[in-house]
Amino acid sequence: MDLVRIDAVHKHFGSNHVLKGIDLRIGAGEVVAIIGRSGSGKSTLLRSINGLESIDDGQIEVDGEKLTAGQTDLRALRQKVGMVFQQFNLFPHLKVGENVMLAPQVVKKMSRADCEPIAKAMLAKVGLAEKFDAYPDQLSGGQQQRVAIARALAMQPKVMLCDEITSALDPELVNEVLAVVKQLAVEGMTLIMVTHEMRFARDVGNKLVFMYQGKVHESGDPKELFANPQTPELQSFIGAIN
Amino acid sequence: MAYHFDFIAVWEYREQLATGALHTLGLIAVGATLGVSLGTLGAVSRAWKIKPFDKIFTVYVEAIRNTPFLVQLFFIFFGLPALGVKLDEWTAAIIAMVVNLGAYSTEIIRAGIQAIPRGQIEAASSLAMTRAQIFRHIVLRPALQKVWPALTSQVVIVMLGSSVCSQISATELTYAANFIQSRNFRAFETYITVALMYLVLAFCVRWLLNKFGSHFVNGRKTT
Repeated sequence: MDLVRIDAVHKHFGSNHVLKGIDLRIGAGEVVAIIGRSGSGKSTLLRSINGLESIDDGQIEVDGEKLTAGQTDLRALRQKVGMVFQQFNLFPHLKVGENVMLAPQVVKKMSRADCEPIAKAMLAKVGLAEKFDAYPDQLSGGQQQRVAIARALAMQPKVMLCDEITSALDPELVNEVLAVVKQLAVEGMTLIMVTHEMRFARDVGNKLVFMYQGKVHESGDPKELFANPQTPELQSFIGAIN
Repeated sequence: MAYHFDFIAVWEYREQLATGALHTLGLIAVGATLGVSLGTLGAVSRAWKIKPFDKIFTVYVEAIRNTPFLVQLFFIFFGLPALGVKLDEWTAAIIAMVVNLGAYSTEIIRAGIQAIPRGQIEAASSLAMTRAQIFRHIVLRPALQKVWPALTSQVVIVMLGSSVCSQISATELTYAANFIQSRNFRAFETYITVALMYLVLAFCVRWLLNKFGSHFVNGRKTT
């Protein structure tokens, strides 16, 4: 049973054809790493899954919620899809706890009393229970990104989208964030991540998607693909990284 | 024949001056509250291109920012009765101030809204918040925070500009000054006194808005 189904998705930015017919199936609990050169469409694909980018053709379905070209009401879909960004994007005027509680309160209309235990549990999960009353700018980049993960988790999504979530971090902070993501994977969360962390993609992922010029060029088991890339493009991409 | 200063001649009219100052404060209190509210609506309409209000506010902002306040006031007070809209001097004064401040604060607050990083709005969207929820919870306070000093200045400018409301017989501070110097013929003493009163009022309004800003807009103790 597929949790995420992407069928023949096309997307243009002006005259630039960025996604040229993407088909992808992702099962519940799968950890998918999308890799590829910049400009290959990997971020656009990820962002179209929760409608941050509109699609021009095709269909995306997440846990029964359909998204098609020209669709404007995305709230039902977005409640099932959490997202973590490269730049954290915490709300600077709200405390850490308020960042995590805001969406459950405003979107799910839960009371603060009901939200607080959830928020505290999510912050504990990312190792930041004691930062409930801190402001985002009092935290390191790695801590901010972990709060962003807790904030997305508080909506109890079915899928988490991670858009290069370690790219803006100092090298010594990358591992604390990856450890949290790995824990989520172990607990069975479905993860779709655009990443440059190839070792993480190989060790934690169970599906690798290589994008090239707006298409899924190659996909399959990460360990196999890294050891044995079938196309010259993936070969040269892996070669350029190593 | 040195000029002999006589401030007692002004002091005798202290009640008119006090009433005038209070009326000026009242005008700006109501004018600023409604004006900034109108400006907030205009700012979000323009920044987020909410149709058809974005176009309406664009025309409104240009019309108001490119005409004199006195002409706006006269149009409302003397012009509108031709259409059967008769307003007393206070209503006309308040409307003129709200309309004027609304236009300027639309542009000021719009700058604040546009300075909110796109990523913040995307993060809120990805949490399934609606545009209205995003505006209220994510955008409004940080946007006001960014432009609060500019907004404070504009409120003070409009308060000082309210002196022209004396021309439609609203008994605010400048009206009191005109009245007093026509009685005691002490123009120098009267106007210097009133100028100092405006100075004090302006300082007070600025101080109050700064306090309000750091309490309710920032909502966070700066350390």
